Amino acid sequence: MTPSVDRRLREQRARVLIRSLDYRQRHHARGVWFRLRRVLADASAAYVIAEDDARQLAAEGCRTESVGGALEPQKLIVIAPSGRIAMIASARQVPVRLSGELLAAKCLALAPFETAP
Amino acid sequence: MTFRDRLLATIRAARSVLEDPGVLVVGSQVPNLLEPGAAATLVVSQDLDIGVPVDCHAAVKRRLPELLLHFTPSADEPSVWTPHSSNLLEVNFVGMDRSQDPTDAYALEDDELPLLVFGALSLVEPGAEIDIRGTRLRLPRPAGLLLEKLVTDRTGEKGERDLLVALGLIVMAGPADFDELNVSYQGLRPELQHTVRSSLTLLSLIEARAGMPDPRPQRTRVAALLRRLESGGAERV
Repeated sequence: MTPSVDRRLREQRARVLIRSLDYRQRHHARGVWFRLRRVLADASAAYVIAEDDARQLAAEGCRTESVGGALEPQKLIVIAPSGRIAMIASARQVPVRLSGELLAAKCLALAPFETAP
Repeated sequence: MTFRDRLLATIRAARSVLEDPGVLVVGSQVPNLLEPGAAATLVVSQDLDIGVPVDCHAAVKRRLPELLLHFTPSADEPSVWTPHSSNLLEVNFVGMDRSQDPTDAYALEDDELPLLVFGALSLVEPGAEIDIRGTRLRLPRPAGLLLEKLVTDRTGEKGERDLLVALGLIVMAGPADFDELNVSYQGLRPELQHTVRSSLTLLSLIEARAGMPDPRPQRTRVAALLRRLESGGAERV
């Protein structure tokens, strides 16, 4: 076996071990990244919004995502229709990805995809 | 010379191996070849992955002398054959073993054609045979290859490129392919199902890269696929 083949096999086996660890810990702190990505995957757009606006959306019955509370510092992540978010003066759209900008936000409003494709 | 020209020239140069009845083209060139007229617009990587079922290994080895006219095995990585001309792509041989667990991997030792056999490729099934300028080659069924891409851990830049191959397959797949994917997914053990869904969330959040397919317009389809898999297949993609 060449050194490169040996290395690739060891890397593959290490990845499998890490994956098993990730799976076992999916409901614990290690699983937070998957849960956050899963929430973002359902969002057509993301907006940083002011805390007052986020609390207002929640008070209006918009769903909040519990994964926001599992992050430190905690975030308030609210799912709201894009039309409602458009009425929020503080809303600033950010790319839907794990950017520093999105992770630094204290409150996020996520617009879901409008219809099932 | 366009990428498509290089891909088609590589297929021609590797004809002796590609026309072995057991061999499949796997990997990043499959979406390119599935495009109408093998348009090859979904450029992700500059190599041609050739899947060799372990029970076809001896037959494929007998076809290697013709390959040596155009390629030479790499000293460092003997499953990679480097082209003699810059007009051709690298050829990368990978082993396939239907009896293997998807999380397993082993090396098939051989002086001429050693293979790394990755268990995720056991999910890949032979699909359509196509004719590329006189070379008959077999592609995998899109559902199995898509599942293989999603069930394999994808990290770093190479991981993103592999996920863009999955994206290309999602773009090219039809309703029957998604039905097949869902059936196969439901048969995976929970840990692997989780990996598939995790890969889809990563794919959903990939940034656009110059010269590669932009994943952002397909985020709706990725979200629908996630929902379908999680719902047990009730929703359509």
